Amino acid sequence: MIRYILKRVGYMIVTFYVVITLTFLAMKMLPGTPFKFANRLSPEQLNQLKHYYGLDQPIPIQYLHYLWNFIHGNLGGSFQYGMQPVTEFLFQRFPISLQLGFESMIFGTVLGIFLGIVSGIYRGRFLDWGTVTLAVVFISIPSFIFAAILQYFFSVQIRIFPVIGWSGPMTHVLPVVSIGVGVMATIARFMRTEMVEVLNQDYIVTAQAKGLSTNAVIFRHAIRNAMIPIVTVIGPLTSAVVTGSLVIENIFAIPGIGSQFVDAIVTNDYPMIMGTTELYAGLFIVTILIVDVLYGVIDPRIRVSGGKSI
Amino acid sequence: MNHLLEIKDLNVIFHIFGADVQAVRGISLQLNKGETLAIVGESGSGKSVTSKAVMGLIPNPPGEIATGEILFEGRDLVKYSKKQMQKVRGKEISMIFQDPMTALNPTMKIGKQIMEGLIKHQSLSKHDAKKRAIELLQLVGIPNPEKRVDEYPHQFSGGMRQRVVIAIALACNPKILIADEPTTALDVTIQAQILDLMRDLQEKTGTAIILITHDLGVVANLAQRVAVMYGGKIVETGTLDEIFYNPKHPYTWGLLSSMPKLHAKTDKLLAIPGTPPDLSNPPKGCPFAPRCPHAMKVCTEHMPAYTELSATQKAACWLLDERAPKVDPPTTIGVGGES
Repeated sequence: MIRYILKRVGYMIVTFYVVITLTFLAMKMLPGTPFKFANRLSPEQLNQLKHYYGLDQPIPIQYLHYLWNFIHGNLGGSFQYGMQPVTEFLFQRFPISLQLGFESMIFGTVLGIFLGIVSGIYRGRFLDWGTVTLAVVFISIPSFIFAAILQYFFSVQIRIFPVIGWSGPMTHVLPVVSIGVGVMATIARFMRTEMVEVLNQDYIVTAQAKGLSTNAVIFRHAIRNAMIPIVTVIGPLTSAVVTGSLVIENIFAIPGIGSQFVDAIVTNDYPMIMGTTELYAGLFIVTILIVDVLYGVIDPRIRVSGGKSI
Repeated sequence: MNHLLEIKDLNVIFHIFGADVQAVRGISLQLNKGETLAIVGESGSGKSVTSKAVMGLIPNPPGEIATGEILFEGRDLVKYSKKQMQKVRGKEISMIFQDPMTALNPTMKIGKQIMEGLIKHQSLSKHDAKKRAIELLQLVGIPNPEKRVDEYPHQFSGGMRQRVVIAIALACNPKILIADEPTTALDVTIQAQILDLMRDLQEKTGTAIILITHDLGVVANLAQRVAVMYGGKIVETGTLDEIFYNPKHPYTWGLLSSMPKLHAKTDKLLAIPGTPPDLSNPPKGCPFAPRCPHAMKVCTEHMPAYTELSATQKAACWLLDERAPKVDPPTTIGVGGES
């Protein structure tokens, strides 16, 4: 297992390096300059500025320079914020985005698993039909539209939750729900399918033949086995939540990384673009590793490294 | 006479795609204490459905016990509630299944899977249940049970898993053990071991066994009495010797002929031509008539009644009627193929 994890960490580093390189190249192809009034500046002034930010050197040199600094933990300073270090900036804002993403994932996963189980057990009945319909609706509606609808009803009409902001539990509800329902719908559909499949397995009949109650059969034998494949969708879903939160943070004016990421691209704030991308990429890569390790925890067949398997 | 289990005129119907499939059509059976009854027949003859009906495990919907009684020690299990049935399953009547590769929960330790029934039916503490689970593993011949009890199914081979399945079934000393094709999914050497084990355990525990199979070799090995099923009906019953040496129903002849033999002169396998009847639209007469080489006009129109051939043997066939022509059983049914 330790060898396996080490090997995976190796792959992660390679992946991360590729992400940095590609982002760097793509970023340099963005049109425009980081300087707001570039067209009003004289060529001399522009050259001076470029020299100041190190942008006058050839791109390969800039790239190597960036890598060198990166290895030493220096992500550079943000152009927009008077060379305030990007790392400091990320550390300040990242916890907010992380909290939003985490709350949304928990909300969506717990509710989704619950709905999927209920739907799978009552397959073909009204409850199942209702859940499936709801799931299709929630998967189809983009989170930003859903966010606007929620804002209209719950903030403007009924006035229970604030329209925007991020201060206290009440402000969390709408953004978390906006991102979370998509997760919920996806997981509910997966869980339902798995539940139906597991309930048709022979070992469920074995459990019934032991004289166990319906509840014992479902809780002890069905749910755990049905959850194994769910773990695999959690990885891709995390990335969906991350991209979803970019927009949602903007809509609800949440001071997380998502809104700054968009700003950074618009203003060609190179170090900030690099920093936020690296953070998201790192988050995603780590999530996938955690998911794979989790897989082994839930499914004993995967736990054994090498040796016997089916 | 008091039987341990008595099935009276059992009818099981499955409502599937607008059709009513009559999987079991009015069968009656008795099982005595400590004996082994084999139910033989080809796929779709209704043998597994019969066993599921006894366990109360017919999925409803789409299945349903339409009429009939299943008397266990005089109490009718068909009338039992879900809760009452849970107290019978695993405690009084338990079951072992065809495919040990899928019959065990892959994410639960073997020991826990055995302990579940013990904790439920005998109210044992976790500690005592585990001790008993280890004893059971020892009993079914799993070496090193103290260690194996904490392992998962994927760490066991097929034969070993079937032993575990048997241990689960025997955990609460049931009075009846239903074995639904217990050796079909195993390879031949393991089959023999499992059959030996079952015979051994029956001697030790005195459990009555209902053996569901299409393998006459297994029947010869284990059973005292045999019921031959075809098209949802029992066409012939008798003791092992009666069925093997003096069979009266053409379907039984066909089954015996199709058994591969070691010293056969021909290298061809004999088969019964045709397929079993469509039970969503069951035939009026004898279900075997379309495939029967001796079928007469009456066979397709009226279901024959049982003819009592001895105190223990009876068969449902028009050939046994006094007006029927005399037909001798084929010479291919020699019994030489027991494993």
